[in-house]
Amino acid sequence: MKGLRLFFFAGIFSYLYLPILILVINAFNSNRYGLKWDGFTLKWFGAMVDNSGLMEAAKHSMVIAVCAATLATLIGALAAIAFHRYRFPGRRILQGTLMTLMMAPDIILAISLLVLFVVIGISLGFWSLLFAHITFCLPFTMVTVSARIQGFDPFLLDAARDLGASESQLLYRVVLPILRPALLSSWLLSFTLSLDDVIVSSFVTGPSYDVLPLKIFSMVKVGVKPEVNALATIMVGLSLVLVLMSQLLIKEKVHNGNVE
Amino acid sequence: MEMWNKFRSSVMLTLLCASPALAAEKVYVYNWTEYIPEAVLEQFTAETGIEVVYSTYDSNETMYAKLKLVKKDGYDVVFPSTYFVSKMGKEGLLQPLDHLLLPNGKALDARLMDKPYDRGNVYSLPYMWGSTGIAFNSSVIPDGEVIHWQDLWNPVYKGKLLLQDDMREVFHMALKIQGHSSNSTDPKEIEAAYLMLKDLMPNVLLFNSDSPRLPYLAGEVNVGMIWNGEAWMAQLENEDIRYVYPSEGANLWVDSFVIPRSARNPKNAHAFINFMMKPEVAKICVEENGYATPVTTALPLLEERVRNSLTVFPTTEILDNGEFQTDVGDALPIYQQYWEKLRTGN
Amino acid sequence: MKSKTQKLVIGLVSSWLILFGVLPLLLLVGASFLAQDPLDFFRLEFSLDAYRQLVDPAYLEVMLRSVKLAAITTTLCLAAGYPFAWMTARLSRSSRIAVLILLMIPFWTNSLVRTYAIRLVLGTQGLLNTFLMSTGLIDSPIRLLYTDTAVILGLFYLMLPFMILPLYACLEKLDYRLIEAARDLGAGFPQILRKIIWPLSLPGVFAGCIMVFVPTMGLFYVATLLGGARQLLVGNLIQQQFLNARNWPLGSATSIVLILMMTLMLAGYYFVLRRLAIRRNAP
Repeated sequence: MKGLRLFFFAGIFSYLYLPILILVINAFNSNRYGLKWDGFTLKWFGAMVDNSGLMEAAKHSMVIAVCAATLATLIGALAAIAFHRYRFPGRRILQGTLMTLMMAPDIILAISLLVLFVVIGISLGFWSLLFAHITFCLPFTMVTVSARIQGFDPFLLDAARDLGASESQLLYRVVLPILRPALLSSWLLSFTLSLDDVIVSSFVTGPSYDVLPLKIFSMVKVGVKPEVNALATIMVGLSLVLVLMSQLLIKEKVHNGNVE
Repeated sequence: MEMWNKFRSSVMLTLLCASPALAAEKVYVYNWTEYIPEAVLEQFTAETGIEVVYSTYDSNETMYAKLKLVKKDGYDVVFPSTYFVSKMGKEGLLQPLDHLLLPNGKALDARLMDKPYDRGNVYSLPYMWGSTGIAFNSSVIPDGEVIHWQDLWNPVYKGKLLLQDDMREVFHMALKIQGHSSNSTDPKEIEAAYLMLKDLMPNVLLFNSDSPRLPYLAGEVNVGMIWNGEAWMAQLENEDIRYVYPSEGANLWVDSFVIPRSARNPKNAHAFINFMMKPEVAKICVEENGYATPVTTALPLLEERVRNSLTVFPTTEILDNGEFQTDVGDALPIYQQYWEKLRTGN
Repeated sequence: MKSKTQKLVIGLVSSWLILFGVLPLLLLVGASFLAQDPLDFFRLEFSLDAYRQLVDPAYLEVMLRSVKLAAITTTLCLAAGYPFAWMTARLSRSSRIAVLILLMIPFWTNSLVRTYAIRLVLGTQGLLNTFLMSTGLIDSPIRLLYTDTAVILGLFYLMLPFMILPLYACLEKLDYRLIEAARDLGAGFPQILRKIIWPLSLPGVFAGCIMVFVPTMGLFYVATLLGGARQLLVGNLIQQQFLNARNWPLGSATSIVLILMMTLMLAGYYFVLRRLAIRRNAP
């Protein structure tokens, strides 16, 4: 039985990792098409850096990811707090909207936002992209922070209020610091989602603001480009770092059982 | 409190970094894929200091839709096919070219100027012209087996063909086989072509206008349509890839420079177009991409093998047998309707 | 009596969600009832044309093909994901974390890059064919790219973690004592699986299917990179209508279909959850 289990795990993991491994190996392969090994080289990394369009798109992606992650975490945390603590009209509808957003395929979000931008008259570029990215990260940040709030000791808040704290002080000094691990892991999750996004970006960004996944998409449609392999390797490395970081942060969550 | 401050300052900082770079001059170029060598763009920036922000499309329709979408902060230079130049010109999407800023335009081949789709070259100047024909891998398919468009309908090629993802080019095949003009506006002729194309669909493996030569080079496809330039580039890597001008007539097309009305940097756009029409630059484009240039002063500069290549420069006979693509006016929606049926209903 | 801060927070959250969540969806529904415009994206005129075009047999056929691809992908994910989730849930704590981390690393890598990597494997001159030819199992390369198989493999590759995680969350909470008790009463594993594990894991199964089935139909770039002329997902149709054919009403109507499908599945999910709760609380 144990042998079968090991075999099964090995099978699944090799399927998941094999393509990535090929990418990484080919990033260092002198042979352009990666069909045979021609020797170790770092020239593709050089070619990648030389590709100014690619680097510009990478910079744009980073900026959007950082901004979107920060703002989505902020708004998501506030939303989690609001839904948890406050009672206000339309609360259920908004919660439902948030869940719908989370479950819905990205493309629905993408086109609905495109229609919105066209109707309102926001020109497609940095701002339209930022609003879109914040919006699709929002459900995830809210759920992450919400989970942490569930395990929150309400007596802390009562005690603070007894000592004379106002609502805003409660938020800044008591609630937010306790939520810190959830905030950080939401930020990481949003950052990754934003960097990864192809679908939403392909509809709502404009010519002035090209982002990395779209640039990669247009490059890979035109065939094998070794610079893409180099870039992919770096991105795999980046995601490794992000995963390890997030695991360190949500260790507590695993102890309390998984989120649903 | 500390957390909040940290959030605030980091948001401000990143938003500041995000504000558009005030530094370099830019020109936004929107072009077909594989149409301008990277080195040429770098040379332009080196000579003028203007940075080129380059994006690509693979069909006129996508380009047109995008242009309609980004009405304000749009592109500066675009390369539509002939019938789209007239369409966009009529709809007021283009701005007239300032020929005083385009002195290199005087060297352009007169046979490609002042055409019906843009009388007086108000909006456009020809960039490159070429043909669409048949490609096949001679190590798999013997020479002489595929010489007519009609040959592609052979059931032996079921699920094996590559076709351009281009409505007019695909319809050209059927219209030519049936003896009609490729620029037909007759709904009956177009319908007949559509019915014929329906029979072709089971033979199609994929539609590709991004880089049609790659499936041939990768061995995924061994026969189908292709642009002559793509065939040229393929032959540089694999001599087995052959290009054939079909007996019924190849599709001949011209792509032109235009400047959209919503262009942000029209001056830079003109500078770019003028640069591209320099003979040394045109020479590089021809040799790398395999299409023919209207810049007459570039022709003597070309390498022998390029000048003599039938793929790049067809004979007058072939040109007479083929047909240049031009405006179909109000018949365009009819084509579009049938094309969508073919693309989704197959 | 709400404080100023409370009002501010509620106001910010509500306005964002209404502006970027509720309003766009309403606009989308509205757009589906507009007329097509040959020169623009839509015309401000009521029309049911979009829905008429939607139920055109040719168009429907493409959508059904997409549903088929999504269904096969979901089934595959379930078939591979269920045993994976079960086995992981039975591991020791530290092994479990290791397995989950290993699962998440590809998930956190850019999905476009991973799809591109699959193309390298499946090509005629790609890794798989080269390997099979070198071992002599086949003499000429198998056509894998530009087929249904390639698209399914690509979708399966991207969506597997989305199936495993909800399943794992559910199976991990399973009270192992139930199984021990059943075993004490003489039940064999197949019986235990059928009567105890499977029914209790149903919420996880449903959640996993919801997270895979409908989103899969939206992943147009997988079909673009791995599929051929016949592999069109609903996402490709929507993309074509919006960015190529400029038929926004039809594109909107098509996405409404997706929304409806998702709502149906969610309704099914809640129904199952309630049935389970009722059964649990039955005397």
